[in-house]
Amino acid sequence: MSRLPHGGLIDRSRPLNFRFDGETFAGFEGDTLASALLANDVKLVGRSFKYHRPRGILTAGSEEPNALVTLRSGARAEPNTRATMVQLFEGLEAQSQNRWPNLKLDLMAVNQLAGPMFAAGFYYKTFMWPRPFWEKVYEPVIRRAAGLGELSGLPDPDTYDHDHAFCDLLVIGAGPAGLSAALTVGRAGLRVILAEDDWELGGRLLADRQQVDGLAGEIWAERARQELSSLPNVKVLTRTAVFGIYDGREYAAIERLADHLPSPAEGQPRQRLWKIVAKRAILATGAIERPIVFGGNDRPGVMQAGAVRTYVNRFAAMPGRRAVLFTSSDSGWQTALDLQAVGIEVAVVVDPRSSAPTVASDVQRAGAQVFLDAHVRKASGVPVSKVEIMRSDGRVVKLSADLVAISGGWNPAIGLGSNLGHRPKWCDERGCFLLDQTPPGLTAAGAAAGRFTLAEALADGAAKAVEAASDLGTTCTAPDFAVSEESDAGAAYWSAPAPRGKAFVDFQNDVTDKDVALAAREGFVSIEHMKRYTTLGMATDQGKSGQLNGHALLAQQIGKSIAETGTILSRAPYQPVAIGALAGHQRGENFRPVRQTASHDWAAENGAAFANVGQWKRAQWYARQGETHWRESVDREVTMTRSGVGICDVSTLGKIDVQGPDAGVLLDRLYINTFSTLNVGKARYGVMLREDGMVMDDGTVTHFAEDSFYVTTTTANAAPVMQHIDFARQVLWPDLDVQATSVTEQWATWSVAGPKSRELLQAAFPDLDLSNDSFPFMAAAKFVWQGNPARIFRVSFSGELAFEVSVPALKGQDLLAHLLASGEPFDAIPYGTEALGVMRIEKGHPAGNELNGQTTAADLGLARMMSKKKDYIGRVMAARPGLVDEARPRLVGLRPLDASEVLRAGAHLLPLGAAPVAVNDQGYVTSAAWSPTLGHSIALALLSHGAERHGETVLVHDPVRGGDIEAAVCDPVFLDPEGERMRG
Amino acid sequence: MGEALTVSERTGLGIATVMARRGVDAAAIGAVLGCALPGGPGWRNGGDLSAIGTGPGTWLVMTETGSGDFAEDLTQRFRGLASVTDQSSAYAVFRLSGHDARTLLQRGVSIDLHPAAFAPGSAATSMISHIGVIFWQMDDAPTYEVAVFRSLAGSFRHWLDSVAATL
Repeated sequence: MSRLPHGGLIDRSRPLNFRFDGETFAGFEGDTLASALLANDVKLVGRSFKYHRPRGILTAGSEEPNALVTLRSGARAEPNTRATMVQLFEGLEAQSQNRWPNLKLDLMAVNQLAGPMFAAGFYYKTFMWPRPFWEKVYEPVIRRAAGLGELSGLPDPDTYDHDHAFCDLLVIGAGPAGLSAALTVGRAGLRVILAEDDWELGGRLLADRQQVDGLAGEIWAERARQELSSLPNVKVLTRTAVFGIYDGREYAAIERLADHLPSPAEGQPRQRLWKIVAKRAILATGAIERPIVFGGNDRPGVMQAGAVRTYVNRFAAMPGRRAVLFTSSDSGWQTALDLQAVGIEVAVVVDPRSSAPTVASDVQRAGAQVFLDAHVRKASGVPVSKVEIMRSDGRVVKLSADLVAISGGWNPAIGLGSNLGHRPKWCDERGCFLLDQTPPGLTAAGAAAGRFTLAEALADGAAKAVEAASDLGTTCTAPDFAVSEESDAGAAYWSAPAPRGKAFVDFQNDVTDKDVALAAREGFVSIEHMKRYTTLGMATDQGKSGQLNGHALLAQQIGKSIAETGTILSRAPYQPVAIGALAGHQRGENFRPVRQTASHDWAAENGAAFANVGQWKRAQWYARQGETHWRESVDREVTMTRSGVGICDVSTLGKIDVQGPDAGVLLDRLYINTFSTLNVGKARYGVMLREDGMVMDDGTVTHFAEDSFYVTTTTANAAPVMQHIDFARQVLWPDLDVQATSVTEQWATWSVAGPKSRELLQAAFPDLDLSNDSFPFMAAAKFVWQGNPARIFRVSFSGELAFEVSVPALKGQDLLAHLLASGEPFDAIPYGTEALGVMRIEKGHPAGNELNGQTTAADLGLARMMSKKKDYIGRVMAARPGLVDEARPRLVGLRPLDASEVLRAGAHLLPLGAAPVAVNDQGYVTSAAWSPTLGHSIALALLSHGAERHGETVLVHDPVRGGDIEAAVCDPVFLDPEGERMRG
Repeated sequence: MGEALTVSERTGLGIATVMARRGVDAAAIGAVLGCALPGGPGWRNGGDLSAIGTGPGTWLVMTETGSGDFAEDLTQRFRGLASVTDQSSAYAVFRLSGHDARTLLQRGVSIDLHPAAFAPGSAATSMISHIGVIFWQMDDAPTYEVAVFRSLAGSFRHWLDSVAATL
């Protein structure tokens, strides 16, 4: 055991058992998985991505690149989980990754011997040839050899919630600067949200032996938490990572509600995605310690100096027994003191600088040697056991140690600040990149702004908060803090001069100093190019720990300063985010909203199969007992409708009330044909164009009163047509006195079609006179049914004698029951959208497949509807040469010469005998169906010069599904071309 | 303190869209209704009528006293002043009341529901779970009502139940 006998913020009265790679260990409440592993002497935690190098724990925070495990098992298994971010719970189960057969003996580690093959750009260079080998050989081999954890492949059993929040000030991070900012503005009564990734507030106050206002750091942080929690205007979100900044001062955050529990409480979500809109925000995310590049800097036992302090002070876990400190910053020396304070031996402090900080004498007094102007050349052993140090006099000292604590200084954690494209700028004075310009409303404070000492961070947090409040018109005062002294002196030190062996700049993606040098030699001298060529910073940790070392090495290689080469932009998400959290409650059958018509339940009970039409569920056909194939049902529905009467739910069609004195004028400008002259009580078919002259939609318009029209649209275009009308009346012609509103949802509409439809409706509505004289084709009327407003239209899509009846949607189900009851003597049946489709193809009516955004009115045979007496949207553009070209594909019908052949939509049309190449393509089949009425397959098609080619034979070429068919070109109206049925 | 959360669906409502004709202002429409109308997004209650501003010169007018002739009656009263459309069947209206109602609704809408920003009388047109909604606050309980297109009521209810379970 490597648990210190005293101290730490763990609760020793609450022991917890957990398993790692099948072995049981014990930890305490308050541990992370990483600290508990260290306290159990587990230093080897995983294997690396490419080389399968043994890896341990490098950090104590969210930047961890190495200690990635698969947490939990079964469907809840989550690969690539950072052990440093997992709060220990009873029964926790974790597995190491990317090793075979086990972590200690990993046979894939031979990849290291093939190192040169895996160098930067190896994909591009090595596997170019022979080409077919890529998919069949190279990729599968690489995929097996490289990689991290694996997905369970099972559905996610957890649920995820979404929430929205608004505030005056969002404080990102609850370290010293964040706490001080939140307190300052919170006390002034502004709305504050404080978001902290950890489960405790305090940041480095929990990890360092510092005092604030005479209190130990963690006690001061706890008091701050209590005060903030008592303020009703402050919301504190712990276990919450802000992971992205977006336009409009929007911040995205993930709250891990239940990740610290064995499983979420019954019915409770695992995580919650927050969208936070903040007038001002303070980025108080602290800083991430820089590693140093030297041979074996990835060995288990090599650890950030700050992380060492965290493990010792916060978790009372010993990361080693004999330490070497390799630091170019004074904060690293503090680690030596902290180790010595708990009785851990510090063998040597190695500092590449030539003078030691004042604390050096304390460190030496406690028994450590000090080497100045020196560096660590190599660490070796798994876990680390030997360290090679190059002294200033050129002598190499080899000594044994099981912990190498490293600090090359600090990088402000400003990734979020460049989410909107603001590139960080190098600051010589502070030796780090800082945000130069920031997203609107955002300011960095504390260590994230290069204010590294505790005193500076507290003061800066308060000062930035005062500024933010002042921007919002509120005056508040910055509190004073009494803080112990510390030094943040340090030199930016990136790499030992001549590392021996593999020396890493990106631990997770296995990118070494040599890869950077290679990239530079090959001309990838821009930071962003080098990143992509070497994959530096492209792993799940986004290179938070070491990538800047890589940038500095590139600068060195090409003889520039790091200020000149710059650094990369960070993109959201700043932390890994589960896809489930983004989906929230919209998953499975609720992936998107579902629209149901009034008869949905009835249809479901009566054998309906449903089709998705946009968000609508539409009944496709109603299978009767004994019908085993959809065609049986559809053929029956068509035949019974054409010979008797059928009822179809057409409620999904778009419906729009257009009213006002200028309603007729507006409609004349929207449609190619004229409506202002339409008599009251009449309906007319209409076509509207887009501004570019192509057909937008078709439907009917009914004139109900002098200033009141009722427009129908196709189901698919209901919303676009409503927008089109609103745009026309609000933007194009605001002078017109016309109002429009959607009534799609108000009316349930039933089409009643077939030779017996009139008899059925007369039985259903005995008060109406539906005779041909009183109610001819295209007549329309309002009436009252059972005390409800109702409407009846004599329109036909099927080509039969047909009517449509509408009642308010709440009465839709009642009306259907009434129609079916009234239809019993006539064998009335419900029919679905498939039969509807068959009948409209038989009748040659264009629908969605023909109104495809690429057809003109003339293409569809509707040229004579285009009024020459008025202007309308699309008229001018419809006259463009390309749109009036006689050679354009025009709507035709097709029938197979051999009646047993089946035409298929999507097949292309070729002249007989022509080679099946694109240049001979003359058109394609848009809609096809089996016509039970005609007893053979029929199709609608768009064929060049089609209108003049009726009677010609063409080849219907279907290379995808196989089989070429000869078909006769004919009029698109297969049935009753004179319209005697529907007018009868 | 009452129930933490009560959810109910309003039934038997008369609902109509009233759109002012050109040059007719909110005051003239309100005078006919006998209910002062909001000039922008807002909810006003006047006797047995309430009105929600849903767009420029556009209100959703509701009554509890029957849906039958409501729109037809309004059409007659507004002749020449406004275009009236019956929407009694078009919307399902859910009432959310109790101190958890704000938390619940806030999970759905990206509109600030803090009492300083959204108070009784406030209304907004927005989206919840990809479903278009019109909602308004009626009192400090707080009580909200949310109107969704009737065909989407099932999906809206799924969202509502899923989130209510997490409260």
